[in-house]
Amino acid sequence: MGKKRKHVETVTEIPKQEDKEVVVEEEAKHNNETHSGPIFRNKEKVLVTCSRRINFRYRHLMLNLVSLLPHCKKENKVESKAALNELVELRSCSSCLFFESRKETDLYLWMAKCPTGPSVKFIVNAVHTMEELKLTGNHLTNSRPLLTFSTSFGKDAHWRLLKEMITQIFGTPKDYRRTKPYYDHVFAFSIVDDHIWFRNYQISCSHTEADKIDREGLDKMTLVEVGPRFCLNPIKVFGGSFGGQTLYENPFYVSPNQVRIRSLDKKKKAGKYAKKVKAKIRRKMQELSKPMEEDEFADTWQDQ
Amino acid sequence: MVVHKGRKASVKEAVKNDVVEDLDVEVSDQDEESEDDVEVSDQDEESEDDAEESGEDDGDVKLSVPQEKAVYDRAGLLDKLGNVSWPENVDWIHKLTLDYSQEKEVDVNDDLNRELSFYTQALDSTREAFMKLESMNIPFLRPTDYYAEMVKSDHHMEKVRGRLLAEKRRIEEAEERRKARENKKMSKAVQAQKQKERAKEKKNEIESVKKWRKQRQQSGFPGNGKAFDIGLSFEDGNTFERSNKKRPGVHPGDRSGGKARQGAGRGKPGADKKRKGREFKESKYGFGGRKGMKKQNTAETTNDMRDFSKGFSKNKKKKT
Repeated sequence: MGKKRKHVETVTEIPKQEDKEVVVEEEAKHNNETHSGPIFRNKEKVLVTCSRRINFRYRHLMLNLVSLLPHCKKENKVESKAALNELVELRSCSSCLFFESRKETDLYLWMAKCPTGPSVKFIVNAVHTMEELKLTGNHLTNSRPLLTFSTSFGKDAHWRLLKEMITQIFGTPKDYRRTKPYYDHVFAFSIVDDHIWFRNYQISCSHTEADKIDREGLDKMTLVEVGPRFCLNPIKVFGGSFGGQTLYENPFYVSPNQVRIRSLDKKKKAGKYAKKVKAKIRRKMQELSKPMEEDEFADTWQDQ
Repeated sequence: MVVHKGRKASVKEAVKNDVVEDLDVEVSDQDEESEDDVEVSDQDEESEDDAEESGEDDGDVKLSVPQEKAVYDRAGLLDKLGNVSWPENVDWIHKLTLDYSQEKEVDVNDDLNRELSFYTQALDSTREAFMKLESMNIPFLRPTDYYAEMVKSDHHMEKVRGRLLAEKRRIEEAEERRKARENKKMSKAVQAQKQKERAKEKKNEIESVKKWRKQRQQSGFPGNGKAFDIGLSFEDGNTFERSNKKRPGVHPGDRSGGKARQGAGRGKPGADKKRKGREFKESKYGFGGRKGMKKQNTAETTNDMRDFSKGFSKNKKKKT
């Protein structure tokens, strides 16, 4: 019995030492985001704005995102993109989500890390807002989300950069003053067909205590979709914020304008000449088969 | 944020010089124009929305052949990644990211499977996350008595609930209707069966009476009442017993089947006693009149006050 006890004691001592070592290492590290103290502090703040003449659906999407990100600041509509960098600095934010709408139907989303960082321009499709009655879930406001990424995000350089940016922008800082303590929703980002699909689910599982969950509870856990839903297609990645050197261009991207123009042109030009010729022939056949009667009044004014 | 105008300008000039209506080159040109905040002027004035273009899940057209001019500055990307990313040894609790490996490729247009794959990704990752959080010994599950502001208002959730209930009710009603229809069919079949059986029984009984008569004829009418139990096999031998169905409120000698009393009970008490019509006299005295059994109360009918008016009492004392 005595021997057993000693064995147990030695085992518990070792992990404590390891913890101490890790803490010391962290204290030694200094990085861009530490402002005070050696511990890592996430001081991320996101500015969310949109352009003028934005559609109601996209405006609701923006408002939904504002409610999902407790570390964001909502700003009034901006007319031009040029003033955005200054605006972000003015509001002391470190990133920006800018919803740009063109022609009242296309929505482009700019995701930028503001002072120096890279920025990405996406086109947004397949938007469903939280107000849709089919999305029945609900979760705490300002609670920290869990983020899941599919492993395809690690396969290429631009996906890795996007993953990092998404983690920083959509992930709520740990000790932010407005966050609520529990984890009850999860954001799922997956890559299908070279698009990023976003889903937000509420976690519902039966539990009795706040910090322990049993096997059964884990197995019976279900997810209910809260919304919103959207799909992002990356167009370009720039080295600077809202501009700069192009680092990545999507080779498969066709702008919606082009789609419209191309399809309209095709429609107009398709078979135009052939149709004309056919119409002429038809008219001739018609005239031959049913000759017009002679007009008896045709030459009344002839002599005059 | 110096925009590298030089590079873009050169590309634009190259495009103009070529005067090749290469669609791919046009695409990049358009995009670069839009970056400079120049309103993209449509080449076509009529810009109608195509349904296919803004349809569900990426209705826009994808180039089948990738552009060769597409920029991919891998080194630059990784450089920027290094600049932006958090240090390596940041605790997981700050990032809360989970990776999930998706085994099979999902077709974009197959809605159900696509959503299912997202769901399984989220579910498995959440399980993993919960195990991690549990091992960190921090409370992560919301207690049932924790009331706080939710992302969707209560009013909205009421609407959602209403819709769900309405759907459930609709489904149930359809089920019930279907069941009722089937029951009706079945009951009709059962009823037809019963009627057939009854007709058969009747026929059998008549046959047996005829047979008995024949027998009697053959054996020459032996006596009056002595050999009366001749093997008339009626159903259960309870021929001359009245049925146990006592119908309260109906006289046993009632020949109208109890229907005469139904409407009459709604009038004054004693009104039916005073009826003098032909029908009433007939029901009392017709065809041999009422059979005996004047006393026919059961336990229930003794206390049945249906036919008495409420205010009927001998000593009514009106309180003034």
